[in-house]
Amino acid sequence: MGYTITEKILARAAGLPAVRAGQDIKAKPDFVLAYDFPGYTDVYFKTMKEDFGIARVAEPERFGIFIDHMVPTATAKEEELHINTRNWCAENDVPLFERHGIGHQVAAEVGYATPGAFVVHFDGHVSQLGTFGTLAIGLRRNVMEAFVSDTVSIRVPDTVRVNLHGSLRPGVMARDVFHHLVRRLGPSSCRFQVLELGGPSVAAMSTEGLQTITGLAMFTGALTAIVNPDPVRLDYALPRARKTLEPVSSDPDARYSAVHDIDLSELEPIVVVPPTPADTRDLTEFLGLEINAGYLGSCASGRLEDLRAAAKVLEGRRVKTGVSLHIVPTSQELMAAAAREGLVSTLVEAGAFVSSPSCDYCFGRIATMTAGQRAVSTGTLNVRGRMGSPDSEIYLCNAAVVAASAIEGRIADPRPYL
Amino acid sequence: MIGTQLQMPALKGRVAFIFDEVNFDVDQIVGVKNIKITDVAELAQVAMQSYDPDFATTVRPGDLLVGADNFGYGHPHYPPMKAMRHLGITGVIAESFSPGYWRGEVSMGFPQVGCPGILGFVERWDEIEVDWAAGVVRNHTKGTELPFEPLPLADAEMIEAGGLVPFLKRQAAQQREQKEHSHVSGT
Repeated sequence: MGYTITEKILARAAGLPAVRAGQDIKAKPDFVLAYDFPGYTDVYFKTMKEDFGIARVAEPERFGIFIDHMVPTATAKEEELHINTRNWCAENDVPLFERHGIGHQVAAEVGYATPGAFVVHFDGHVSQLGTFGTLAIGLRRNVMEAFVSDTVSIRVPDTVRVNLHGSLRPGVMARDVFHHLVRRLGPSSCRFQVLELGGPSVAAMSTEGLQTITGLAMFTGALTAIVNPDPVRLDYALPRARKTLEPVSSDPDARYSAVHDIDLSELEPIVVVPPTPADTRDLTEFLGLEINAGYLGSCASGRLEDLRAAAKVLEGRRVKTGVSLHIVPTSQELMAAAAREGLVSTLVEAGAFVSSPSCDYCFGRIATMTAGQRAVSTGTLNVRGRMGSPDSEIYLCNAAVVAASAIEGRIADPRPYL
Repeated sequence: MIGTQLQMPALKGRVAFIFDEVNFDVDQIVGVKNIKITDVAELAQVAMQSYDPDFATTVRPGDLLVGADNFGYGHPHYPPMKAMRHLGITGVIAESFSPGYWRGEVSMGFPQVGCPGILGFVERWDEIEVDWAAGVVRNHTKGTELPFEPLPLADAEMIEAGGLVPFLKRQAAQQREQKEHSHVSGT
């Protein structure tokens, strides 16, 4: 019986001829990534030095640190955290990416999404590197193991395979595909497993769309998501790759714990209603619900195709008075591309407030809502208090829905505007 | 089973509460508005207020919590279980767990036990015990037992060690010992 791409990557990383799902191994990550955040990186840096006597990391090229939260800083304490991070990276010769954009996206742009590589982070949304055939797992605090030793202790996960068929209809985006998966398969369907995307329609899907789907994998319970790399993804990733590795793919007779088929042509736009990422509903059920804010951005959906969809809806129209629409491209590279394409001027002329890449809108550090307010958002999460008051509400949806809703001041169907 | 190699912490007490909601968001235990409280005694005071206001006065050290499928789903934070530990709770037994929650609590050295069927197996205040060596949960009140899912080795080791940092320290010491041994023996 063949092996999954996950088993192949972990076997190499563990230095073993082969591993199978269920096996407990110690694997050496090719890359160890993190963003600076109070209670995480500052604690790792301190623990490494004080508890483990590690003054410098042995292989700095295996690490990558991103400053993407609290950007720009609003308090002296936040700036002190960044100084600490900059100093640690300089002392350790570890690459630091500050103000390049949201780290999970930037990681792909700067070559950590090396096909065939094993990557760890504390944050689970790093799974989006799976778009390029990279196995990228969020370990929460356990990622400290990768900071103080060469390896991480991990059980080789099983894989759930999802085959995509057909093509998306206008107004339906990758965001809808992912939340349909949660609805169809269930929020625990891939618990402790890998979500592998395949099937005849994957090749035709945009890289950005796949980044959206793989990046949200944790809401199916998955440890990560992965796609067998195809020529389009390899053309993006290989010239940027930081390490020379042979890309690998699942064998045709690999063992999956479950196989599901999704017909993309049947899908409609959705909303995910508060207060849980598990509650996916048809957009049509919630049309007309009044909103105060719109947010288009985050590591999940602030890429060019999202900005294009919003620009198409907003071109020649105006955001309704009283509604604040925040549009935050996911990275500097993408923002520059959007500017060259004329998307930024279209969005700004429509009344959107366009900001440089930052994670801060996604978790309510800025553009905070007060009690009783309601947002439509392409952020990652809609739990209580995510964007401010625990008594505000977040409806997750695709970028076109955010734009249409900002025009009408209520949850709106984007299709008439397209 | 696990207990034959490792000295796992004893888990024996009453079922202090049963969270029967699937995909339970643990932040609800203290309420989202209290998530940023850092004083553990203060957290313990607000814990469970919307479920059982008498919880803090009735719970006893050693008591356990029981959960449904995908316990800890959402965006789990650490304060709710810090409050529970402060009140004397020693572990959670659930039908199944959400990976983010699981990893977070195991890294705190807080025992988590995946046990399909647990909801129908216990009632609130039953006396129960996790027998790590036998791989079963025992209901002493009813005189029954139910197998639980074996933990991944690293998770069991982390719980035995008392959390992530002691686990990593022990691992580092073992590696040093191995190195010294191979140096001495010249292999």
